[in-house]
Amino acid sequence: MANPTAPTETLRWIACPECEASCQERPLAPGTALRCGRCGVLVRKPLRATSLQPAWAMATTGLLLVILANVNPILTFDVAGNVQSNLIITGVRGLSDQGYWPVAALVFFAGVAGPALHLASVWYVLGACCLSRRWPALRRVAHFAEAMESWNLVPVYAIATVVAVVKLDMLGTVTWQRGALWMCALSLCSLLTMQLFDRDFVEKRLEDLA
Amino acid sequence: MKTHEHPDRMRLQTTQALVAAGLILYVPANVLPVMTMTVVGDVQPLTVMGGVMELYDSGLWPLAAVVFLASIVVPFCKLLCLSWLLLLHGTTIRQRERCTLHRIVHTVGSWSMVDVFLLSILAAVGQLGALASVEAEPGGLFFAAVLVCTLFASESYKPRMIWQTREATAS
Repeated sequence: MANPTAPTETLRWIACPECEASCQERPLAPGTALRCGRCGVLVRKPLRATSLQPAWAMATTGLLLVILANVNPILTFDVAGNVQSNLIITGVRGLSDQGYWPVAALVFFAGVAGPALHLASVWYVLGACCLSRRWPALRRVAHFAEAMESWNLVPVYAIATVVAVVKLDMLGTVTWQRGALWMCALSLCSLLTMQLFDRDFVEKRLEDLA
Repeated sequence: MKTHEHPDRMRLQTTQALVAAGLILYVPANVLPVMTMTVVGDVQPLTVMGGVMELYDSGLWPLAAVVFLASIVVPFCKLLCLSWLLLLHGTTIRQRERCTLHRIVHTVGSWSMVDVFLLSILAAVGQLGALASVEAEPGGLFFAAVLVCTLFASESYKPRMIWQTREATAS
């Protein structure tokens, strides 16, 4: 006798991404969504993306912008003829020179390494999905991308720069440089990549590939 | 570290330790100066709150509000929320609300990095000429430590643990 609760081929049991309660998958009409019966979090929504290419394009742009934002000075600071140009890495070095290397490491990780690793891993996963290639360690990289998402703090850095300019203005003359533009673009690009990265769709593509 | 111990029990203990550490470190992080700014011989040690007041005094209250929210309100609320989650761990009280709260804590948490980034941009100035210098102070170290504690605490306490009763975790 068939077990009525056994998962069939079309309707599977899936774990709620938040509380890991079992939820039964069902076909979703447009405009409806599957919510977890226990914690109420969104488990599945009708696939809204038809292609992952926009997200891949965004991630590619983001990767290029990471380089541009890190090699161009964001602002120059001038006190009585002493001019200094500031990059993200200048701040890291300044802190470690003053002996605060744990703080410097945190800034480096959240301001430089985090965004680069996040965009690179997203790029890798989406590239495999778009080109239908079974690149190695895809699932592990997808997990890594999810973990790194909260460490892509370029938008936060951009706000900190605005505050810093106000403060430095009390000490000397501050001028915005081209790097600031790249950083704004990178913030926007990072946020858009996170928006366009449709986890369910990627999951489906990865299952098809495997 | 005992290997036979329940992995979620380990997670719970890690979270408890991190939240306790965060609460203790929160005091020096806010009392000690984060940096010293010297402008034309005028040495000015600034705490986190001092930095906010300075922004407010220069008439930029929207920026002051952002920094105040991000570096004082958010870390404190985060520690408070995590303590509440830990206090109610294993009970069935308000489990749905706790889930929502955990999600909010997780998303908002990283915004308090504003102050650490700010410190790094300002510290880059270092000793620039005889007129101006910015130096990092131990307060910054404590502040960064609080942030790391809260970030890893909310990471190690998984939302599924809200739904575990005391017996399930103990066994």
